Amino acid sequence: METDACIHPYPVGTASVRRMAMEAGALGFGSIVVPGEVAGVYHGVRIIPAVIISETDLRRVIGQIRRHSNSGNLVFVDAGDNGFNRAVLAQKGLNAIRCLHQIPKKAFDHISARLAYENSIAVEIDLYPLIHEKGIFRQRVLNRYNDLMRLHSRYQFPLILSSNAFSVLDLRSPDEIRLLCSLFGMEKDDTNWALQTVSTLISPVESVMVAP
Amino acid sequence: MREKRRYLLLRIDPPTPDPDPKDLYFSVLDSVTSLYGDAEAARMMPVVISCGSGYAVVRCIRGYEEKLRIAIVTLTSVTERRIALHAVATSGTLLALRRRVSGLSPVRFETISPLHFRDREYTARRYQGQKVDLQEKGINRQELLFLTQDDLEGL
Repeated sequence: METDACIHPYPVGTASVRRMAMEAGALGFGSIVVPGEVAGVYHGVRIIPAVIISETDLRRVIGQIRRHSNSGNLVFVDAGDNGFNRAVLAQKGLNAIRCLHQIPKKAFDHISARLAYENSIAVEIDLYPLIHEKGIFRQRVLNRYNDLMRLHSRYQFPLILSSNAFSVLDLRSPDEIRLLCSLFGMEKDDTNWALQTVSTLISPVESVMVAP
Repeated sequence: MREKRRYLLLRIDPPTPDPDPKDLYFSVLDSVTSLYGDAEAARMMPVVISCGSGYAVVRCIRGYEEKLRIAIVTLTSVTERRIALHAVATSGTLLALRRRVSGLSPVRFETISPLHFRDREYTARRYQGQKVDLQEKGINRQELLFLTQDDLEGL
């Protein structure tokens, strides 16, 4: 099931969650992740609640991760500097790290990539700046995502894709997302996989125990 | 020798009012140039053929359809108006796309009674069954809100 990994409906955005769900369904999504919302289904689109932790104090972040980890919400943390990211990626209960296009270049390195893979923590690729920014800002974002794809090809950590839409006019279909992702070297298979990763975050695949 | 061309049919969101074709052309060209530069835009030769009834037809040189589609994905406004364009179909002939457009049912709007919400006046428009768009009345601010019929009943 293809999922838009983060949207922001009213009052933060200009569209209600029902309208966002309806439009996302018409574009081809099976589910959307909405911070601060209640789980549900509208017009055949599943609404997945999430919590975004934007703190910079590591102890507070760890406390919030522990508080929200078994609440039925997906837990996302905004990335910070290198030490912060490594500490946060070692935490159980975290589902994804986001805003990697806003952090310093070496803040997400090969050690963070390996931690993300080992703990099955997804890395969010935010499509909003690719759509809305131009010039040097968009170039920096593309550059950052190019680096991310190099790390991903080596360490195979999970990826999720978010439109971070504030309006129905910010939503893009899965086909359009595949086209956008080709700008920074993301292959179609990787994009398809990233669009479906949220399902594995909600119900992680566990290894099968064979009784003797 | 005349180069082969490709035509893209785009759905405009929100479907009304239709943007001015000239303004749309400059916006598409700006998106293409911003993403790929002047040289690639010159090779691509994007052109807006027609614009109306919630759809637009754009043209480019064959081989550049994918790049034009990507540029269109990054188009967010025409002049001051927020807009989104979604590619519906691609064809080698204009006739095929025009047949496709004529086969699509036109979007029918139903204006419903003005709404007073958050101390502001909004005109409300319903279409495609459940979709309700609210446009704020005013000269300076004209906020656009996107709701559904179910949301309206809850207000």
